[in-house]
Amino acid sequence: MQSYWFGDIEDRRCTMFAGDTDAIIDRVQSVVTRMDTYIPPDWEQAVLCGACHDRQEYLATLQTVCIVAAERSIRERYSKKDAELLQMVRTLDEIDMVINLLSEKAAEWYLIRHPSFSRKYRRTPSHALVKTMHDKSKGALGKVTGEIGQLGITRTILAKEVSGRANDVMPNTSALIGGLVAARLMSHAGGLLPLSRLPASAIQVLGARTALFSHLKTRSPCPKHGIIFQHRRVHNAPRDIRGKVARVLAGKLAIAARIDYFRGVAEPDFLDTAQRRIDAVGKESGP
Amino acid sequence: MIWIGDVLVSQGEGAVYRERMLDGARVWDPYRSKLSALYYLGKGIELTPAMRVLYLGAANGTTVSHVADYVEVVYAVEFAPRPMQDLLEVCRRRRNIIPIMADAARPEQYAPLVESVDLLYQDVAQPDQAAIVLRNSVFLKPGGIIILMLKTRSVDVRKEPNEVFSDTLDLLTSAGLVMKESEWLAPFHADHAAIICIKPEA
Repeated sequence: MQSYWFGDIEDRRCTMFAGDTDAIIDRVQSVVTRMDTYIPPDWEQAVLCGACHDRQEYLATLQTVCIVAAERSIRERYSKKDAELLQMVRTLDEIDMVINLLSEKAAEWYLIRHPSFSRKYRRTPSHALVKTMHDKSKGALGKVTGEIGQLGITRTILAKEVSGRANDVMPNTSALIGGLVAARLMSHAGGLLPLSRLPASAIQVLGARTALFSHLKTRSPCPKHGIIFQHRRVHNAPRDIRGKVARVLAGKLAIAARIDYFRGVAEPDFLDTAQRRIDAVGKESGP
Repeated sequence: MIWIGDVLVSQGEGAVYRERMLDGARVWDPYRSKLSALYYLGKGIELTPAMRVLYLGAANGTTVSHVADYVEVVYAVEFAPRPMQDLLEVCRRRRNIIPIMADAARPEQYAPLVESVDLLYQDVAQPDQAAIVLRNSVFLKPGGIIILMLKTRSVDVRKEPNEVFSDTLDLLTSAGLVMKESEWLAPFHADHAAIICIKPEA
């Protein structure tokens, strides 16, 4: 028997499927087609079947069904919890970049107006510097530095939301590496499902693309860590065991991501042993 | 194919993606579309009004809209939701595009929908591009044509494009397809090759 969207064909006899667009979509999704005996549908069969009168109607009906089906799949995919987190963390990283670029430009501009000003030997963090420039500048430069300050405020709010959302969407990964970094890992992988499918070795170097490909193409050393470097346990580790910490952490993250995808709730037992294992590596000396 | 002077165009409702118009026809840019590049290089097959096309990797419907201007119907398969949103907008304006949101590597998911086609066009940048073509060749009529746009960098970045190209050819011919012609898409697209095969009559 061959099952098509408009009906079933068996021994040249066609049984039309009676149902509205939604019912047809459910049917198409539930039909299991064996590709070794498969024969593509023929619109003339659909006419004999009574599903339509002519080719034009066949295509028109099929298109309507397919458009509604695609709209349904899009809605399903976007309603997944990670879809919005992905956009949030990407926007956050973009804002960071914009703030850096603009601050840099504003500082150069400010230097021209205040030749005696220098950024050397200053302990002020960059956002404080932006504030100083803002207070002492008039006109467009004042506006620009003001905007940078505003962006900084937006960034703080967004960062908090990202972390909160990450704790909810990927509780285990977030517990190991923090919500922000967990969200960044997910964004680089392209979603929670793709992340959960990655091997630990890939998670370890996620975000170190340039270094990885230059390693694969030439004889340069392979990267030890990508985004996970942003986690304190990696960047605070002594240089000689940093790679090892990154490797163990990535191993546990790979498991955590799978738990997050398939179970979606924090697993205290796993987190406990994982944390202890990662801390133990950090205390070892020598690679 | 329709040429106005040396510009490839297609006849249809314009302003799909702010494409240029020429004498009321839509300009088909070879730098944007790999299929157009193929025609500019003097290869490719004539698209006719009676043709049915299965288009894998439809993306946001740029090339699909031009193909649909030439042929009877295009079955457009795309997996990612974001480009699918754009493709749906194109479908609402063009009644001869059937959008299918599915993974081109799993034809069993859309088998109940797709009739047999004259042309199988594959532009899915995946490492197993050739395998995807072979799995989808069940939809192709005997004597039907396959156009595979091979993105060698997606198959294996470490291999030379030429090597990937000949490996792919081997895969296709050993599965019983007959090579018609092939062409590198330079200078329009770097490291991309078009491979045209025929499914032999049974």
